[in-house]
Amino acid sequence: MAGPGAQLVSSFPVAKEPQKPRPKKVPELPILERRNWLIHLHYVRKDYDACKMIIKEQLQESHGMCEYAVYVQALIFRLEGKIQESLELFQTCSILNPQSADNLKQVARSLFLLGKHKAAIEVYNEAAKLNEKDWEISHNLGVCYMYLKHFNKARDQLNKALQLNRHDLTYIMLGKIYLLEGETDKAIEVYKTAVEFSPENTELLTTLGLLYLQLGAYQKAFEHLGNALTYDPSNYKAILAAGSMMQTHGDFDVALTKYRVVACAVPESPPLWNNIGMCFFGKKKYVAAISCLKRANYLAPFDWKILYNLGLVHLTMQQYASAFHFLSAAINFQPKMGELYMLLAVALTNLEDTENAKRSYEQAVALDQCNPLVNLNYAVLLYNQGDKKGALCQYQEMEKKVNVLKETSTLDFDPEMVDMAQKMGAALQVGESLVWTKPIKDSKSKQRAASGKPSSTQQPLGSNQALGQAMSSAAGYGKTIQLSSGVGISAPLAKPPSLPLEPEPGSETGPEETTEPQERRKEK
Amino acid sequence: MGPRWQQDGAFGKEKKKEPGPRAPSLAVPAGAAVYVYQNLRPFYKHRLPPRAPAPLERDVWDQARQDKIDPLMLKEMLESIREKAEIPLSARSLRFLTLEPGELQAFVTLHKDQPLQHQTVITCMTTLRKDLADEDGATCLVLGTESREVLILDPEAFTGLAQMTLAAVPAFLEATGQFDVEYRLTAACRNGCLYLLRRDSRRPRCCIELSAQPVGLVRVQKTLVVGCSDDTLRGYTQKGKRLWTVQLPAPLLTMALLEQKSRGFQAVLAALSNQEVHVYRDKALLDVIQTPDVVTGLIFGRYGREDSTLLMTTKGGGLLVKMLKRRAVLEAPLAPGPPLAQAVRLAVPKKTRLYVDQTLREREAGAAMHQVFQTELSRLRLSAARAYVRALQGSLAPLSATPQHPLSLRATVQGVGPTFKLTLHLQSAAPAGASTGLLLSFQYDEHLYAMASSLLRTPMLVPGLNYPIETFVECLSDKGISDIIKVLVLQEGLRTPLLTAHINMPVSEGLVAA
Repeated sequence: MAGPGAQLVSSFPVAKEPQKPRPKKVPELPILERRNWLIHLHYVRKDYDACKMIIKEQLQESHGMCEYAVYVQALIFRLEGKIQESLELFQTCSILNPQSADNLKQVARSLFLLGKHKAAIEVYNEAAKLNEKDWEISHNLGVCYMYLKHFNKARDQLNKALQLNRHDLTYIMLGKIYLLEGETDKAIEVYKTAVEFSPENTELLTTLGLLYLQLGAYQKAFEHLGNALTYDPSNYKAILAAGSMMQTHGDFDVALTKYRVVACAVPESPPLWNNIGMCFFGKKKYVAAISCLKRANYLAPFDWKILYNLGLVHLTMQQYASAFHFLSAAINFQPKMGELYMLLAVALTNLEDTENAKRSYEQAVALDQCNPLVNLNYAVLLYNQGDKKGALCQYQEMEKKVNVLKETSTLDFDPEMVDMAQKMGAALQVGESLVWTKPIKDSKSKQRAASGKPSSTQQPLGSNQALGQAMSSAAGYGKTIQLSSGVGISAPLAKPPSLPLEPEPGSETGPEETTEPQERRKEK
Repeated sequence: MGPRWQQDGAFGKEKKKEPGPRAPSLAVPAGAAVYVYQNLRPFYKHRLPPRAPAPLERDVWDQARQDKIDPLMLKEMLESIREKAEIPLSARSLRFLTLEPGELQAFVTLHKDQPLQHQTVITCMTTLRKDLADEDGATCLVLGTESREVLILDPEAFTGLAQMTLAAVPAFLEATGQFDVEYRLTAACRNGCLYLLRRDSRRPRCCIELSAQPVGLVRVQKTLVVGCSDDTLRGYTQKGKRLWTVQLPAPLLTMALLEQKSRGFQAVLAALSNQEVHVYRDKALLDVIQTPDVVTGLIFGRYGREDSTLLMTTKGGGLLVKMLKRRAVLEAPLAPGPPLAQAVRLAVPKKTRLYVDQTLREREAGAAMHQVFQTELSRLRLSAARAYVRALQGSLAPLSATPQHPLSLRATVQGVGPTFKLTLHLQSAAPAGASTGLLLSFQYDEHLYAMASSLLRTPMLVPGLNYPIETFVECLSDKGISDIIKVLVLQEGLRTPLLTAHINMPVSEGLVAA
């Protein structure tokens, strides 16, 4: 860089030396810090090889007393993953200069990276004595406390850090703590302030969008996810979440175009292929849907949502035997979901195994809290079996659920379900016309006003996938396999297969589809 | 002394035109001094005044000079000073502390008569107009030092005009305004902070925490543009509020200001490690210059008669000169558009004809398939259960299941034949006391193998210890066949064995080869 300059300068001392005759020649001691700036420059330019060479020379020259050279060497070790070595060097630094809070901070940071959170906290506290108003110390103390699960202390420290100096990272950590404590509302508040402070941070925008999505505030969620995408059009999380929302609204082509970006960036993402598969399902391209879902399943074999969707698509394709396997696999991973048992029951009904279908429905009804479809489908089966009493009982259960739903949510019921319910009501009406007429009116009005469980159950499927929380939420449940294994053992009777159906149009909702086979049968 | 100077000079990184009255000069900082050149000839050398050492340290050395304390005591005292003092020790004291006991006396005699000095080092430099804003005005040098200070030097006399203290060592300096009127200094420091200073402020007025190391600092009108080691370029206001952030495609190496005075146009040049130089105006990427090597130094300005020239030095030692076309318009930002990946088709896995056929078959005969599957599954489970029961009843497993004698057996076969050494490792896990009265019995084809004894008595088995029992087996066949030897562990007085192990004997290679 300064080739010619170097030569020129070298001529300087030669010119000057004669002017300074000294009685006794004492060798001038080199200044310890003379190459610090160069070490620093190479370090920030990430030219670590050159940096290490200079550090080595400098340490030889200064007999290891050059604090900054040791410091940068430790930083480089840390970047190379040699945390223990870096810790030792930082400790050397703090021996060379015990008054420096920075050295202590780095010692603590290395301890933190080694997972020794308690030791890190002690060193940070010591550093805080030397430098009270340091954002970094408070922030890192907060993070340490978070890992030790002392959430109160962690929050205090993080809030202190925010008072000293506002950083996106502190907001993110604070939000995380609220989420760990299950206080989504407070987390949203934190992220909102953070987004106001730093409106272009895509991570903040995406997280906030996903939180809104979880709460069902779709408008706000879409707004934030959209903002994230304007700043970073290839943000993986935001695309998946926004795509799943588009899917709910039936914009399958737009969603697919967006997914292309993700497919290039993260081609092995299970949620991505799950969502793509469900897009094709929505577009009635069932073969493509199955192959995408199977890829998703290959990438994440333990994700019950993918298995659920696979079961659903196979039901639509009238591949009941395959559907049975996917659904029973899903139940093994997620044994607490009524809808899964209902789908399994539908598959079993079509496989002529009414006995086990009934057992599966029983389980579904026992587990499910609010989906009227479960009861309706069960009622249809019971009715077809000639058990009018049981059918009526299930029908009334369904009415209850419908009434609750009407009050609580605003989305429409699936017209097909309403139609089916009316027919069922008509068929059961023997002497119960009074009871029956009401629900018909209800359900008619419901078509516009009340909410359908189907659409609300299906959204989490897409969106939660994007959140990557499906696994964690599913993991909480213990395993009870009794039903599926019971089904497996039973030997079904041989009967001619039922009439194959043409795949019906429909959104990617699971439960909706399942009414169709039932309905057809009844019409027979 | 010569070589050291040369070395230091090689590090001189800043070359600044410092126009005095009509004759531009070049200032090169190196070590503790600034060298000024005029017309490519050495002109003046200014050495920074040394700082006074810590008073305690000076006292100690004074005492040493008067031979009041011996070197060992001196060392002890210096150690204690180092641990407490606010001001770091001088190079002499630090060097002294590293010496072996034998060298101490000589060092003290050599150095004690020299005045104790604490010399600092220049880390960065920039320029600031003295009084006039135009090209010809005199320029002050602004220096950042290792002792966390910023000095402003008089253009003529090189005396210090102003001095400010920072919280960390400055790495990059930026100055605007005129010294005599009003000026602003920005220092990017090694602790990852930007400090903003103004005239008459001895301490920084405002601090921006970057949470990454600054790699370059440029002022574009009223915006401070900082390049950081997390591959971002950020814009800040003069009050420290962040305006925007741009993600760079590669690590940043250096930055410079691009200024076309005729148009009043300013932009930021950023040299990246992917051999590109990017031109940014605020967030917008205006242009990308490809270079043959990684650029490590950038300067834009007048070169000869050409006003807009970009000089680039490369890592390999090259120098590139690029001149901006006089009619060039750098206004239109490159359109962002959707990401390229959006045009790539999804690679949906294809399904074969066979798959479709199977699907159709399943539709027709789904129930039957299900039944067959379930029947076969039940059969499989049944036969697995039977095999398990058989294994349990015959104690066929190498682990004994009886609660009185929880035993495990491991066998190894050594040798190539015809004689093999068979080692049986017996281990007992009985919670209550040692197992006694156990027998080892071997069952084998007598036409194939011969053993000294087919019944062995085991020693008393202390729980937890491993008992290797060795025996020899001779293979009688030369046809290259092998067989299984069964090992039964028996308890005296019991009819069924405690456990059974099957040893697959290797082929006797000795006889086959012969």
